Amino acid sequence: MTSSPSDTEIAANPEPSETASPRSIDERFRALVSSVKDYAIFMLDPSGKIETWNAGAERTKGYLAEEIIGQHMSRFYTPEDLARGLPAKLLAQAIRDGRVESEGWRVRKDGTRFWADVVITALVDDAGRLIGFAKVTRDLTERLHAQEEQLRLAHAEEAVRLRDEFLSIAAHELRTPLSALQLQLQGLLERPEGIDSRIRAKLERACRSGDRMVTLVDALLDVSRITSGSFNLSASRFDLADAVEDVVERFREHAVRAGSTVTVRAERGLEGRWDRLRIEQVVTNLLTNALKYAAGTPVEIDLSGTEQDVIISVADEGPGIPESEKERIFLRFERAAPMRNFGGLGLGLYVARQITEAHGGEISLASDRPRGAQFLIRLPRAHLPGSTG
Amino acid sequence: MSHTVLVVEDDVDIRQALIEILEDHGFGTLGARDGADALDILSRAAELPCVILLDLMMPVMDGATFRQAQRNDPRLASIPVVLLSAYRDVEKHAAPLDAVSVLRKPPSVRELVTVLRSHC
Repeated sequence: MTSSPSDTEIAANPEPSETASPRSIDERFRALVSSVKDYAIFMLDPSGKIETWNAGAERTKGYLAEEIIGQHMSRFYTPEDLARGLPAKLLAQAIRDGRVESEGWRVRKDGTRFWADVVITALVDDAGRLIGFAKVTRDLTERLHAQEEQLRLAHAEEAVRLRDEFLSIAAHELRTPLSALQLQLQGLLERPEGIDSRIRAKLERACRSGDRMVTLVDALLDVSRITSGSFNLSASRFDLADAVEDVVERFREHAVRAGSTVTVRAERGLEGRWDRLRIEQVVTNLLTNALKYAAGTPVEIDLSGTEQDVIISVADEGPGIPESEKERIFLRFERAAPMRNFGGLGLGLYVARQITEAHGGEISLASDRPRGAQFLIRLPRAHLPGSTG
Repeated sequence: MSHTVLVVEDDVDIRQALIEILEDHGFGTLGARDGADALDILSRAAELPCVILLDLMMPVMDGATFRQAQRNDPRLASIPVVLLSAYRDVEKHAAPLDAVSVLRKPPSVRELVTVLRSHC
């Protein structure tokens, strides 16, 4: 700590006195000020030159007392503030109003800036003549950064909320004309009098495109339900193998187009209480991924169970998923492969995880596989008592 | 027995597509844009429809409110209702409405025709 000459005098004579004289109280007060580290507290002469310096001033501004005493306080101001004459304005305001408080950037000895809260108080003698100023400066840089960080976080959260809200509105708005379009196409396809085979083939392709759009829009709707907390499950008792077989049956044609075979191996008695549509959706999402990213390789679905749980394993022999990606792929709008190679919204695994966890289960990627990806889903047989949120 | 289906659906394109499909498959049709419109049409109809195809989410009067009013009217209460909804979990929404069947939008034509024929 650097002390002014008067501080040194006090420090050399520190004995306490039970009946402190006014002078010793004054000296002790000066000692207190000089030792304060969290505030820069110092005196200025009437022209703004520095007369005293305390520990807090040294710590905040970086100058030793001998370097700064006698210098003008404008030394702490930024070139921009100097250009607009801020130091003189503050002193003038302190003279006029008795005190002035301001916040702004100030400059340390090393040229770095800190965000300061400054109070300048004009000091006058008994006759009302200005004898100088007391200046108290607090470094609020950390608080400013914390506030800025909080603001950035709030902006980011708001941006995410607006994105989710937009996705929800967009998905709802897209769903209705899409339904109308599909009904029109299907109406043409299913005309009782029949249609030309070439037109039929085109209409079937158009219907398939429509189905894909419905799947994408439904994934967005699911996400908006999950994020808004309106994602509900309706439990019923069924055998998992039946549900999985249903999904695989629906994917026969898709699998053929992908050049993959899909094999299901199931133990007997895999009954439990789950939301059938949602469990089918989980299997659908995993199977869709396998047929997309591991097209041309066999896909194996194994279903097994214990007394409490059932396990669904979906394995392919495609490129697999690097260790570093294993958590990321379950996040929203993420994907295992670069977007330029594969389409999709990056929602399948996110939705699969939300559904699985809503059933009290978990979804994971098996490690130690020489090739391909293997997703494992554990579902408690009786987590859902009935309909539950 | 009537072979007329009352289609209650607010989206004009979906309503029109449903009506055209049903007419192509030999049904008579009535179209209503919401629950209130449907009640008005039913109150004026000389012959009641054999089944009502009812959307859930509609402005003015939604499907649930219409169904309540219909069940409270002795003249209309016995007309079976098939629900139509964009909800993935449409069955859950259907349970308290005591519908004879539920279809998710867009239903397949075969499914739609089969379900409606079983009531007409």
